[in-house]
Amino acid sequence: MHHYLISLLIFTPLLVAVVGLFIPAKAEKYFRYSTLGVNLFQLAVLVMMLMRYVTEAGVQFVEKKSWITLSLGSWGMLKAEYFVGVDGLGMPMVALSVFVLLIATISSWTIDKNVKGYFLLLLILNAAIIGSFTALDFLLFYLFFEFMLLPMFFLIAIWGGARREYASIKFFLYTLLGSIFILIAMIALYISVHDPSSSGQLVHSFNLLNMTDPTNFISNSVLDPNNPWKIGPLDARLWAFLLLFFGFAIKLPMVPVHTWLPDAHVEAPTPVSVILAALLLKIGGYGLVRIAFPIFPEAAMHFSMFIGVMGVISIIYGGLNAMASKDLKRLIAYSSVSHMGFVLLGLASITPEGVAGSIYQMFSHGLVSALLFLIAGVLYDRTHDRTIGNYSGLSIKMKSYTAIVLVGFFASMGLPGFSGFIAEIMIFLGAFKSNSVNGLLHESLAIIATLGLILGAAYYLWTLQRMFFGPYDLKGNIAHSSIYDLNNREYLMLIPLAIAALFFGIFPQPLINFIDPFARNFSEFVLSTGKSLTLNP
Amino acid sequence: MFPIHHFLLLAAFLFCAGLLVIIVKRNAIMVLLGIELMLNASNLNLVAFNQLHPAQLGGQMFALFVIIVAVCEAAVGLAIVLRIYQYYQTSVPDEISELRDS
Amino acid sequence: MVSFIVSGRISEKYSWAVTFVAPLFLLVSALSAGYVFYTIWGDQPYVVQWSWFTIGDTNLSAGIYLNNISALMVLIVTLISFLVHVYSTGYMAGDEGITRYFSMLGFFTFAMLGIVLADSLLLVFVFWEMVGFASYMLIGHWKDKPEAAAAASKAFLFNRIGDAGFLIGLMLIWTNTGTFDLAELAKVQDIYSWQTTASLCLFCGVMGKSAQFPLLTWLPDAMEGPTPVSALIHAATMVAAGVFLLARVDFLFTPTALDVIAIVGIITACMAALSALVQSDIKKILAYSTISQLGLMITAIGAGSSAAAMLHLFTHAFFKAGLFLCAGIVIHVLHQAQQQAHTHFNVQDIRNLGGLRKKLPFTFVAFILSGSALAGLPFFSGFLSKDAILTAIAGWKGSDFSWRWIVFIAAFIVSFITVIYTFRMIWTVFMGEEKSTASLPVVEPPLVMRGPVALLAIASVWLIVSVNPFHYHGWIFNVLHSGKHFDLGIISFISVLWITLAVATSYFIFRKKTISSELLLNNFYLDKLYTSAIGKPSLRLASMVSFVDRKCIDGFIHVSAYAQVTTAHFIGWFDRAIVDGTVNGIASLSRVAGNMTRSFQGGKIQLYILWAILAIIIFLIWTLF
Repeated sequence: MHHYLISLLIFTPLLVAVVGLFIPAKAEKYFRYSTLGVNLFQLAVLVMMLMRYVTEAGVQFVEKKSWITLSLGSWGMLKAEYFVGVDGLGMPMVALSVFVLLIATISSWTIDKNVKGYFLLLLILNAAIIGSFTALDFLLFYLFFEFMLLPMFFLIAIWGGARREYASIKFFLYTLLGSIFILIAMIALYISVHDPSSSGQLVHSFNLLNMTDPTNFISNSVLDPNNPWKIGPLDARLWAFLLLFFGFAIKLPMVPVHTWLPDAHVEAPTPVSVILAALLLKIGGYGLVRIAFPIFPEAAMHFSMFIGVMGVISIIYGGLNAMASKDLKRLIAYSSVSHMGFVLLGLASITPEGVAGSIYQMFSHGLVSALLFLIAGVLYDRTHDRTIGNYSGLSIKMKSYTAIVLVGFFASMGLPGFSGFIAEIMIFLGAFKSNSVNGLLHESLAIIATLGLILGAAYYLWTLQRMFFGPYDLKGNIAHSSIYDLNNREYLMLIPLAIAALFFGIFPQPLINFIDPFARNFSEFVLSTGKSLTLNP
Repeated sequence: MFPIHHFLLLAAFLFCAGLLVIIVKRNAIMVLLGIELMLNASNLNLVAFNQLHPAQLGGQMFALFVIIVAVCEAAVGLAIVLRIYQYYQTSVPDEISELRDS
Repeated sequence: MVSFIVSGRISEKYSWAVTFVAPLFLLVSALSAGYVFYTIWGDQPYVVQWSWFTIGDTNLSAGIYLNNISALMVLIVTLISFLVHVYSTGYMAGDEGITRYFSMLGFFTFAMLGIVLADSLLLVFVFWEMVGFASYMLIGHWKDKPEAAAAASKAFLFNRIGDAGFLIGLMLIWTNTGTFDLAELAKVQDIYSWQTTASLCLFCGVMGKSAQFPLLTWLPDAMEGPTPVSALIHAATMVAAGVFLLARVDFLFTPTALDVIAIVGIITACMAALSALVQSDIKKILAYSTISQLGLMITAIGAGSSAAAMLHLFTHAFFKAGLFLCAGIVIHVLHQAQQQAHTHFNVQDIRNLGGLRKKLPFTFVAFILSGSALAGLPFFSGFLSKDAILTAIAGWKGSDFSWRWIVFIAAFIVSFITVIYTFRMIWTVFMGEEKSTASLPVVEPPLVMRGPVALLAIASVWLIVSVNPFHYHGWIFNVLHSGKHFDLGIISFISVLWITLAVATSYFIFRKKTISSELLLNNFYLDKLYTSAIGKPSLRLASMVSFVDRKCIDGFIHVSAYAQVTTAHFIGWFDRAIVDGTVNGIASLSRVAGNMTRSFQGGKIQLYILWAILAIIIFLIWTLF
């Protein structure tokens, strides 16, 4: 039974979506409750998985079925498999996905435009997200990765705000560009790697685990680690790493390629913003950890200083931009850029602390950013105005809302007691230690990154001061009657997130049990393989 | 027996004439006529080349096939043109712009 | 002993329930603190540890590290917190945010105890920030007041700036030693070069929290919070956390770092003392005086005597809390009287007050007691602890003339000014003619407010330090001093020289005492003395310092904030115009290309055929020739 748990997670939403196609669009209740039912079912499956998970055992719940096997004559054989499984990286991400998707469904209750289409797209998105967090075959991963784009595009373009077309097309183009980079790297990898298990015949496979072993590369192929092709000034392997890196960095997003994020966030409806910030951004980070770093460890080491610098730039630049934002959602979006910069910084250090911190940061940011976007959504639902300057003294009218906002803002600032603090402290330690342990990053990066903390405090406090404190006043065309405190449904979606952020800030060990073995193996593997590869000329 | 290049020249002339008709004429029926001309040009070629291998009848056979196909094509094509004429009140393809975006 | 932490936690969780429960829990924790203090005092450090989380090869633990210093702090924190809780039930009665107030007060006490008891620097940092959060919430308690919100943000931001330095220090320490554990760190005997940087980074955190130069301006603003909060957080405990931290990790500090600390401390002390002279808001005077006293403590740490600093911290906590609570009484009763009489003037402005000794005799006496301790009059606790600090600095300055002598002299000047502003305050508030308050029906506050004040005032006499009123080698100092685990060996206290110096110091303070008591007795030429002898030059100097304070430091902060916002705007523009512009440019390029190619496909079938034939012809020509 438990061999099929992951497939259950992936295919239940798809199945319900297919069934939903045949239900008339008038049955709005059916779509709402079936989506909720799928989420609850996934939660149950998740609990079963968590109970059976063995923290030290590596990849688990593996399912491996042949999917595409194609003989290409003298070119060998094409083999792509349905190969899924979770490890210390995938498990927290899957757990986060299931949890956040449930919350997103609850917050979707207010959607009343084309309910059928909305919830069907949500289900497809659900399957694609969980699929890409569990896929261990590159082709399968790429399939799910692309599969996410479509529902996301329509969710923004149809249910979005005023400039939704612009935002959705920008989002689509950016992500597609990243996908193309990844596709090129994937094809190069496919050409260069053979499956060691099939002797005699040359079998090209997309198996990610095979790709990480340098002995599986065909000699004299494009990406042969011992004798790579030279393209321009760099090795082909370095190029391939850069392609993967930028492909995922667009998703992450990293600073020069981040401008889709604020627009997409501002225009997207609240639940979609939540999924976008909490899950889709994580796929960028996940891809770096799962694909780019272990397959090209020596390239990762070669570029780690560059990655670290880009991370720090993201932190500072995102923070400054957040301070200048007049729109609440835009502010939160830029703060996401800033926070994902920490993920890059931690990864670049390739220390157990830094890598674990990065994964922890992804998890924590998933919780906190979901909370923040829900908060912005609550206000938007009431007043249809997100301009910070139009509000003042909201704490007088909306007491519980202000309390939640305080929790969200301070959690995002990285106040001790919230999950962000644990993540940030681990990243700082990893980044700072890196120079003395493996000589990859300079200490000054970590020191400059602390500026991000001050900036974070500055823009959140300033927002609090402007919007929530002071005398009660509204500007613009906001009706006073539209200001009222939270209702039960909003409590239901906000409180669990706040509690989770608090829990993982005070008791980090349960989550670290998952992450730590993975992070240790990961950094050890990347460093040792990377060193052995650079030694060979 | 005529030398083969006379047939070929005639066929080339017919083919070019058909092509010109297809390109120049605006009416769909005329375009179909042009196609017929081109088909007949190829038929002529087929039969002419059969001279080189008098023992075999491949060329004539092909020509026959082409004639049959041409008949079918003309029937279907004319039927389509007729329906289009009934629906749009015109048989000029350029005036039918239902699927154009601007 | 563990129960004691638990009681701290309980107070945090339940205090919102009923107002009266909160002080009760604090009483329990204060009693257990007393027990802890009794058992631990003078003994070996007590250590309990639990594993918090393990990452890589690092095990980050959470635990308790109780030694003499922390036991003393625990006592101070719980006792004063208890008294303030009791006081607050009177002061805050009828406030609509009272549950929030008490829960934050409880949370603060919990976090403060966390700092005091934490066994690792990381944990200290955790609670350090939590304390900052509690302080933020409490300063901004009256959140509809824009000034309160601004002050709260300012306080948190200043703390954050310091904390960033703290964090860098933590990273340095961890990279070089691989541990945050205080007991482990204490084993580092040799002096490494990184220690100077690391300890100065830690000191950055202290600057933020203890309002040291140049991060001192948030504390006077923080007086927007309720007065009991000012007493607890911004006078007695939180701001003293910096001093405590320095005393706790004094083994890390190198001589260079200590010199820097001493200089910063004395600059702060001078600036704040001079500022206190010209303030008219009673709470701001007290705030500046707090900063100045903290500066003295920091100087003492810099001079190598954390024992003296802790002693002063101990005495200061009591008398300053007492002063604040007295000020709170004045504000509270005048407010109530104003509401009855339907008049309005600023009750915190001492120029509006006067002659209150008749209407508030109890408060007057308590204020005199605590104020005398602040001024350092003999027979009061402040005298002894200040004596300890001056002696420490005197020992540290050495016999040859150097810049340390300037510090020494400045410390004397500071204590001199302290006396002046204390008596100015007492004078204008309680003596003289009644001004705006004359017609108000002022009555003494209820017992819950008077009780704590009385206790704190009694605690300002010399007996709590030592039996001998002229010699501070009482029970606290001796234990702390001998209980110090690591002496960096900067100063060796040569007792003989030391005692002579102490006598000289006491003599100097005596003389000062005669001046001030003369002032007290001869109230006629107090004003004259103020204006002619000390007043004018120090006023000018003070307003200059205050100007520097407001314009240069605050101005710099504002300018940098504006610069930051401007940069942020510029970057926002850059984002839209250049980065987005490039993206849009690429999009429009492809649109132009698309339009061009589209013209080939106009839906004209014959055109297609023409193109196809042309293509074939071109192809044929190309292949044939």
